Amino acid sequence: MELLKVENVSKHYSGHTALDDVSLTVKEGSIYGLLGPNGAGKTTLIRIINHITAPDKGRVIFDGHQLTEKDVTSIGYLPEERGLYKKMKVGEQAVFFARLKGLSRRDAVNGLKEWFEKFDILPWWDKKVEELSKGMAQKVQFIVTVLHHPKLLIFDEPFSGFDPINAELLKNEILNLKQQGATIIFSTHNMGSVEVLCDDITLINQSHNILSGSVEDVRRTHSYGRYRISFDGDENRLLEALGQHVESYKFIPADIRGKSLSLKLRDENDMREIISIANDTVLITALNREVPSMDEIFIQTVKTYNAEK
Amino acid sequence: MTSNIGIIIRREYLERVSKKSFIITTLFMPVFMLLLSAAPALIMSLNTSGSKNIMVIDESGKILPQLENDETVRFTSTALPLDSLMGREDLDGILVIDKQIISKPEMLRLYTRDAASTELTGNIENQVERIVERERIESYNIADLSKILEEVKVNVTLPTSRITDENEATESSTILSTVMGMVMTFILYMFLMMYGQMVMTSIIEEKNNRVLEIMVSSVKPSHLMMGKIIGVGLVAVTQVILWGLLLSIISSFVMPAILPDTMATDIAAYNAGNLDAASAANNIEMVQMFSALGSIGYIIGLFGYMLLFLIGGFLFYAAINAAFGSAVDNIQDAGQLQMFVVLPIIIGLVFGISVVNDPSSPLAIWMSFIPFTSPMVMMTRIPFGIPVWEIIVSLVILYASFIATVWIAAKIYRVGIFMYGKKPNLKELIRWARYK
Repeated sequence: MELLKVENVSKHYSGHTALDDVSLTVKEGSIYGLLGPNGAGKTTLIRIINHITAPDKGRVIFDGHQLTEKDVTSIGYLPEERGLYKKMKVGEQAVFFARLKGLSRRDAVNGLKEWFEKFDILPWWDKKVEELSKGMAQKVQFIVTVLHHPKLLIFDEPFSGFDPINAELLKNEILNLKQQGATIIFSTHNMGSVEVLCDDITLINQSHNILSGSVEDVRRTHSYGRYRISFDGDENRLLEALGQHVESYKFIPADIRGKSLSLKLRDENDMREIISIANDTVLITALNREVPSMDEIFIQTVKTYNAEK
Repeated sequence: MTSNIGIIIRREYLERVSKKSFIITTLFMPVFMLLLSAAPALIMSLNTSGSKNIMVIDESGKILPQLENDETVRFTSTALPLDSLMGREDLDGILVIDKQIISKPEMLRLYTRDAASTELTGNIENQVERIVERERIESYNIADLSKILEEVKVNVTLPTSRITDENEATESSTILSTVMGMVMTFILYMFLMMYGQMVMTSIIEEKNNRVLEIMVSSVKPSHLMMGKIIGVGLVAVTQVILWGLLLSIISSFVMPAILPDTMATDIAAYNAGNLDAASAANNIEMVQMFSALGSIGYIIGLFGYMLLFLIGGFLFYAAINAAFGSAVDNIQDAGQLQMFVVLPIIIGLVFGISVVNDPSSPLAIWMSFIPFTSPMVMMTRIPFGIPVWEIIVSLVILYASFIATVWIAAKIYRVGIFMYGKKPNLKELIRWARYK
């Protein structure tokens, strides 16, 4: 069951195209990674989902109907560039934002006190925002985003400004929210956290959706034809012998496994043949399928796309 | 969704009203203004540097005996020549009077070491004038001539009445109208500048510290802009009303205590309708003026109009300010765009002051219909009594134009708040307004 469907959305600004025919589907209760280099069009897409700007073409389906202004109360958005009113008191300000999301004053205060307690910032309730450290201000912003129990949460670089301990706290809270049934869109450059948190991803580059799917599928697809052979012997002879079976390779001089070659094969079906050729040339000590990290997939996919352009 | 505008208005309003600077200026400004208006009198009374010692060389022998000493000046006779007196530092001045003074009244001169004060020269001029007059009258040798001349003298002041729409005559004072018009125009000008600027800077601030990014996820940008404009506008209205209250309290308690008794009796007589201009101790215009100032209805009427034009003018200009504020990153960059707001307001003020001379000229009427200048120009004209339909048309145009500027400003604002880095010009703003 999908909570959000973006269908063929395009958005042009004078002189440049921010989004070109982008589609994606976010399943209910999942964490969806929205990835891409700076300036790819992620923020524009997030603003369209938030009903801040309207798409030129295409449409957004939220919870089974076309996205309307009213749905904004069912969405919580933590923008990448975020600030608070400096002169306002912390608690008062949090209540203000909660009320804008449709909570009554009493519900807002009760909910906020709970969260403040959890995040250890309750003593700061009556302090002015300008007295807060950056990390504490980020906590307040996070709380304000999730307080009204939105169906859809959008976090843009939520971990920036947090020390490792608080980042861990935040990560657990995000997983908690998922368990309670929230759907989360997660935009970040931190691929490590994508591997840990996300179920599905979309990679946007130069206003196009260039890669979509579940993290497992994406990684499996990208592991196609990737092997690492560790061996004793001459790497040049081995490469020569393998010849046209190899599309690209990387030589890894020596680690715990001895020296190895990281290979991208032209056709996995030639595997038996390849093993026998290798076996004739060198002494194979290990043979593994290589699963690339999201980082590698990101870099490689974007580079390939930009090169083809 | 509309309730969100309410929440924003509340925040904007409370944030400003609870500021110390607001409370202080609101409370002390009226006191300060009254002090300022009373300052010349206060300075005068503090500035008496003792009586001046003037040595008089009266060659005619007719002036000196009649010169009167008072607490500011003392005249003493001398037969010494001027040269020998020049070196005396104990003297404040030497007055030399020619023997032909009666036929040639310009034949006199005052020598002083320090610059002679206008108070001193005025005193001497008045006295000599009077004495020469008296001497000349007596030289005709006609019995009771001075009495006859006194009876011949007249003093005409022209009381004006305005014919109202109901074709009745009401008394009006030109001086009062001028003063009230100027004061209200200036207050309006001050508020439009100050509070317009406030809208702009606070939007720039929100944009700079990225609160806007959070706000727009729950509020429509146009609602956000309206909330801010209305919130700030309410602060302005609060301040004006508080000032009005404070001033009327102060004046109703303090004015009777300051006014001389003769003025009070004249005002009472005037209000009762039986003041005789000839017997009045004071200038009839002044009596009219103070009487009007003491009349609650007159003040409240003008004040009401001022509020209407203040609100309309503020909304009109605040929308433009909001659009400009959203387009730039810092107040320095705003300067160029701000000229488009500041210039018309100043033009309005200048015209407002100049139409005092002829409040019903075609130019004055046109300027009071154009929304850029109408608040200021109208406020000068209203105290002179102008047809009500003109006021209504002016207000309708002003408020309708406000709806137009808000509509356009909202479109620019929506784009502007996400634009960082570059400094846009007016042409770009117009292009933004056309975005879907």
